[in-house]
Amino acid sequence: MPRRDDIHKILLIGSGPIVIGQACEFDYSGTQACKVLAEDGFEVVLVNSNPATIMTDPAMAARTYVEPITPEFVEQIIAKEHPDAILPTLGGQTGLNCAVALAESGVLERYGVEMIGVNLASIQRGEDRKLFAEAMEEIGLSCAKSGFAYTIAEAEQLASGLGYPVVLRPSYTLGGAGGGIAFNQDELDAIVRQGLDLSPVSEVLVEESVIGWKEYEMEVMRDKAGNAIIICSIENFDAMGVHTGDSITVAPAQTLSDIEYQRMRVASLAILEKVGVETGGSNVQFAINPADGRMLVIEMNPRVSRSSALASKATGFPIAKAAAKLAVGYTLDEIVNDITRKTPACFEPTIDYTVVKIPRFAFEKFKGADATLTTRMKAVGEVMSIGSTFEEAFGKAVRSLEKGREGLGCDGHDKIDETRFNRFLSQPTEERIFYMAEALRRGYSVADVADLTKIDPWFVQRLADIVAVQESLRDRTLTDLSREEMLRAKRYGLSDRQIAWLTDVNGAQHDRSALETGEMSVRMCRKLLGVQPVFKVVDTCAAEFESETNYYYKTYEDENEVRPCDKPKAMILGAGPNRIGQGIEFDYCCVHASYALSELGYETIMVNCNPETVSTDYDTSDRLYFEPLTHEDVLDIVEVEKPDGVVVTLGGQTPLKLAHLLEADGVNIMGTKPEAIDLAEDRDRFSALLDEMGIAYPEAGTASSAAEAVEVAKHIGFPLLVRPSYVLGGRGMVIAYDTQYLEEYMAEAARITPDHPVYLDRFLESAVELDVDALCDGEQVYIGGILEHIEEAGIHSGDSACCTPPFTLSQNIISQIRDITTRLALRIGVRGLMNIQFAIKDQTVYIIEVNPRASRTVPFVSKASGVPLAKCAAALMAGYSIADLNLPPDDRELDHYSVKEAVMPFGRFPGSDTVLGPEMKSTGEVMGVANDFPAAYAKTALAIDYSLPTKGTAFISVCDRDKRSIVAIARDLSKLGFSILSTTGTYHALKAAGIPCERVNKMQEQRPNIGDDLANGHVDLMINTPFGQRTRSDGYQLRSAAVRYGVCYVTTLDAANAMVQAIEAVQQSADEKVTRLDTIALQDLAQWQPDLAGLAKERR
Amino acid sequence: MRERAVQATEKQIGVQMTEMTMMDRMKPALLVLEDGTSFTGIACGADGESFGEICFNTSLVGYQEVISDPSYAGQIVTMTYPHIGNYGVNAADMQSDHLALRGLVVHDMCYEPSNFRSERSLPALLSERGVVAIEGIDTRKLTRHIRDCGMQRAAISTVDLDAASLLAKVKDSQGLAGINLASTVSCASAYHYDEDLHDFDFAKKPAPPHRYRVVAYDCGIKRGILRGLRDAGCDVTVVPWDTPAKEALSYDPDGIFFSNGPGDPEPVEATYGTVRELIGVKPIFGICLGNQMIALAAGSRIEKLKFGHHGGNQPVMNLRTGRVEITAQNHGFGLVFPSLGALVPELSGGIAEHADDLRFWSEKKIAPVVENARYGRIQLTHVNLNDGTAEGIALLDQPVFSVQYHPEASPGPTDSTYLFAAFTRLMDAWTPGDASYLDIDIAADRLAAWA
Repeated sequence: MPRRDDIHKILLIGSGPIVIGQACEFDYSGTQACKVLAEDGFEVVLVNSNPATIMTDPAMAARTYVEPITPEFVEQIIAKEHPDAILPTLGGQTGLNCAVALAESGVLERYGVEMIGVNLASIQRGEDRKLFAEAMEEIGLSCAKSGFAYTIAEAEQLASGLGYPVVLRPSYTLGGAGGGIAFNQDELDAIVRQGLDLSPVSEVLVEESVIGWKEYEMEVMRDKAGNAIIICSIENFDAMGVHTGDSITVAPAQTLSDIEYQRMRVASLAILEKVGVETGGSNVQFAINPADGRMLVIEMNPRVSRSSALASKATGFPIAKAAAKLAVGYTLDEIVNDITRKTPACFEPTIDYTVVKIPRFAFEKFKGADATLTTRMKAVGEVMSIGSTFEEAFGKAVRSLEKGREGLGCDGHDKIDETRFNRFLSQPTEERIFYMAEALRRGYSVADVADLTKIDPWFVQRLADIVAVQESLRDRTLTDLSREEMLRAKRYGLSDRQIAWLTDVNGAQHDRSALETGEMSVRMCRKLLGVQPVFKVVDTCAAEFESETNYYYKTYEDENEVRPCDKPKAMILGAGPNRIGQGIEFDYCCVHASYALSELGYETIMVNCNPETVSTDYDTSDRLYFEPLTHEDVLDIVEVEKPDGVVVTLGGQTPLKLAHLLEADGVNIMGTKPEAIDLAEDRDRFSALLDEMGIAYPEAGTASSAAEAVEVAKHIGFPLLVRPSYVLGGRGMVIAYDTQYLEEYMAEAARITPDHPVYLDRFLESAVELDVDALCDGEQVYIGGILEHIEEAGIHSGDSACCTPPFTLSQNIISQIRDITTRLALRIGVRGLMNIQFAIKDQTVYIIEVNPRASRTVPFVSKASGVPLAKCAAALMAGYSIADLNLPPDDRELDHYSVKEAVMPFGRFPGSDTVLGPEMKSTGEVMGVANDFPAAYAKTALAIDYSLPTKGTAFISVCDRDKRSIVAIARDLSKLGFSILSTTGTYHALKAAGIPCERVNKMQEQRPNIGDDLANGHVDLMINTPFGQRTRSDGYQLRSAAVRYGVCYVTTLDAANAMVQAIEAVQQSADEKVTRLDTIALQDLAQWQPDLAGLAKERR
Repeated sequence: MRERAVQATEKQIGVQMTEMTMMDRMKPALLVLEDGTSFTGIACGADGESFGEICFNTSLVGYQEVISDPSYAGQIVTMTYPHIGNYGVNAADMQSDHLALRGLVVHDMCYEPSNFRSERSLPALLSERGVVAIEGIDTRKLTRHIRDCGMQRAAISTVDLDAASLLAKVKDSQGLAGINLASTVSCASAYHYDEDLHDFDFAKKPAPPHRYRVVAYDCGIKRGILRGLRDAGCDVTVVPWDTPAKEALSYDPDGIFFSNGPGDPEPVEATYGTVRELIGVKPIFGICLGNQMIALAAGSRIEKLKFGHHGGNQPVMNLRTGRVEITAQNHGFGLVFPSLGALVPELSGGIAEHADDLRFWSEKKIAPVVENARYGRIQLTHVNLNDGTAEGIALLDQPVFSVQYHPEASPGPTDSTYLFAAFTRLMDAWTPGDASYLDIDIAADRLAAWA
């Protein structure tokens, strides 16, 4: 069955902002789908509110709507574009939910839009646990015993029938949100209460616990003709009880015999057929009782998922691409295997290596949150690694995480909590693997550790072998190691730094720089022994057929498969795992650089270890190295590829940290040189530079002890912005208002970066913050965009909403900013992208920070302005000038406003405070485009929360500082029809201003109080501004309650102001049918694409 | 900072652990190929020296079924998946009582298996059964070498570690061509298959009652096939490879089955001679070597494949239904479909010219028919989508069909189990010209045999 000719225009729904449980894997899948459908001649219309994605690049689709993924907006787009079909299976749960809503409300039928890839009935059978369990029973497969509860009492009754512990799963939530394991009735009540609230259908599944069972996933594909294949099996290292997204996982399955594997295989295929997945990829999860092999079906997703992305990268089989082709009529035997280009896609990939995925967490960002891993996903990103053996891949994966670890321990960072040793061993946390290693080191048997952790002995034995190899090196002299010993260490995944530490070469155990020197000694010694890595190809077929694809991984074997190439080579270092502060935006920049450098005639080489991304697709760059971004691993690739240049300024802080080391190795760093990077990053040198240039900056000092800090504070005065040096996303950054807090902070800061001092800057209270992204070619500077923050200074720029063009700045300020940006870029010696953060206080322009690299706002600015900044930056790094690029004037006036708003993960971390501050906490962002600022802001609010309160009750409680300014906001809210509720202080301020207002008791006051109102759903909007850093207060409880009960809330006056304007825009839009919230395609705005291929031709 | 004394103890533990986990198995071994390529590794099976034809198998699971498959007689098997032995071995999963392969090559052998059914480790089994094995070599390099240079003679030795000397011995060793290996792995005398299958109760349904009597010719039959026949309701009597037709018929069977087996089919003349006697007398089904026996009986040419098909992921299209099955395969020889006769255009979509690459037919979804000198019309029923080789034929004027691949899987995917049902349909009823007994929806009863 070839391509369907009866459909021409296809609507693709993306997954919206990056949130925990739904990350950039859907950028990967959506981008693949856009590309392959366009190649096949379809007109693709795309909806996705996430500006940081490659898929929302105007070049990826015919029509790109960066709009909220709500049925209302998508219906508007359908009415405008009249697509023939809608493809909802590549946009995660968000895309699927939206498509379901459109189907159920009859919109699809009304506009004659066909749902392809999946139908409504099968989505419901796959997603609705009750229907699913029934379907499984019909084909004779077992699910865990369970029942549905709609009240707490029902849940209690079910639990007593099943026996504790029970697993609780709210229906239709994302990444296990609201779920958990209850060991007793109290826990049950707490989890079910929240679960009922989070579930859109107020339904919670109470399920027999299979904690400790083995967990597996099968990635399955099916075509219209009924051909069905398994792409990959995945075995969880962590036993049942830890969400798959939070588990270490391994591909392929390791501990199943053939009969067990085949049973799971046919069950997966039968489930797909039973649920009725017409075409495309799905994922089925199983639990196996290790004692007797009993198999239970856990769940299935009738769509492409996070595991699909992993399976694609693990096998080389492009699941999303194939899913898109199958949706438009092809069958698997008609699709060619991209990797071999000779054999059909209708086969089951076989691999000859082992793949390990480890999730990346960010608990340090959420003080007070429980770091135990449960059925509710908490990871913010993940890394994948490939090695010949599990041991090799595991070592690589640990160091890919960039958590400061060089492998499985033995790196000077083993910090063992002796008093709770067995607890940390048995309880799943991100640290547990290190406790397992330590336990094995201390003589625990494999059986003991397996018993305590419920992790399969096969995995524990592998860790025991790694530990044994490590211990055989401890305290040895490096130069005494034999070739066999060195080779064995490398084959068991030890990094050169671990070997350096174990042998204490060059005093490597003493400090970081000695460790770095030691690493180079190990490297040299290793080479002398002839122990060098080779690179092998990921080819889907275990070398059975020749392959054309240059997708490599490193291993310590004999034969190197890297193919030579005559073209000049440019290597791009990616951003590593997603984390808070360094996300998909940097992947966007790297992918653009790859495209640009390819157009400019380079052979492009991508290095990255994040399986969720577009950059790690084998067809994004000419060559892909799936490797950790450490000095050792990158240098190994450099030595085999000998690139003409390496790009380090587009992948965030990760590659930037390697710039100096690589330059010392003789690598040509493309674009801004490490010396210039250092000039901007070294606070002292940079301050001197600003002084020399006469540019203002907040007064600052450094301190490496509490006493020094207090001294500096005396000199500068409070409030102070305090932060460790060389950090990302404002990690460990706070505002200190008094000495006591500063001392507390210093005690803790030492733990974060012991080798670097702490910076103390005068905090510019109530200043307006700006971000500027600019290009510089050494002679000319091009201002890509000026972004005005909505929240005032003190909120991390990544967490602050911002708007471009600026909406309140005077022409005078803007020209000062342009002038300073230009002078600084030229003076520092930027060649490529640069980002500057400014603060404006009392009409004075201060420099807060300069980053001589791509910033997280680059994709947003590029989409808002129509100028692809990352692409341009790559061209500049390749030696072209800004003049060559033929860009529009950078001071042109835009006739639309673009707003970016951050998306917070607080719902995932009950107990952590939700107030915004200088430390970044958001996981993702959305963009809204409209003809005025309030409408654009309203779109971002709708894109995040899917609805805005337009009537009802607003609760207002602000700190004393804000009492005066709140009056105007409250008056507007009152005019818009809201009734207002306030606690005493604010109540008096509003009453004095003549605003109708009702008083309510505070949280600690007698009941009923505001807590009850929030719980009972009496509050629709909450404005609460905190002051100072004491978060364990009334405000903290209020904000936690707002998160718990899903009440829309803002914590700054500026945000409140913007929110009120947005509410007005939404009200008008609904009441008067005015067009303020009309959808806009990026293609309707002016777009620029530099003709890079033409430039390259000219140069030749 | 850790105390020095503590470190010392830990170091001792470390050394002990290292010794326990790997030192005692550091016995060197050498693998040498006929073309002079050699690999040094570590022994992980029996001591000694063994010669055979080297091949590779790409299955991710099922090493035990692979090593106990009699079709590997005369061969040294390289497993492409690096971790082998993870879930141990057990008696139930053995495909035969004897290990017929000549040697095993793996990347990383597991000595401490983990699975509730594991009875012992794979290296322990290999040692006990005298199978020489080597680990710790670049198996991907070896696989690529076999792919590019073809299957060839090779040796593994733990006693002669001199590459030149071992190479000389390899060059003197016997190849597979022209050798009747089936005779070496066939049963010595006829027996009634009656296996207690309770070992599989955790995963499979009990076998149905017997409805058919089948005589199975054993050229190295896998237990998986016997189980497949039994799960389809067959009461099976197994007879040696050279059992005369008359004797087979004396069991009054409803059908005759020809099994898989090792090596070159040409020398297995007694068997395909018997096939000739039985065609037209009883319904016949053949698998793997059995397929080649039927093809040879019909006068087909047999070709040796460059590196064969050994694995569990080969796509095969049933040309009659257009459905693709993922199949388990293990063969180095195949039939040449055009050599069976000239195409019958009216039964072949009007096409009169043979295509060498049989994917010509899968792309058109046509099951072509030739006119065979001996048996009349023969239909090509199955084609390999990877390389366009013939995977199955059905005689239209006789109740006979066969496939080159393994519907019993063991190891491998079970998509093709329907072929056992097809055999029973053939035994139930057949009219000349009809091969519709093969038209079974593979999705209809995927879970039929599973508990």
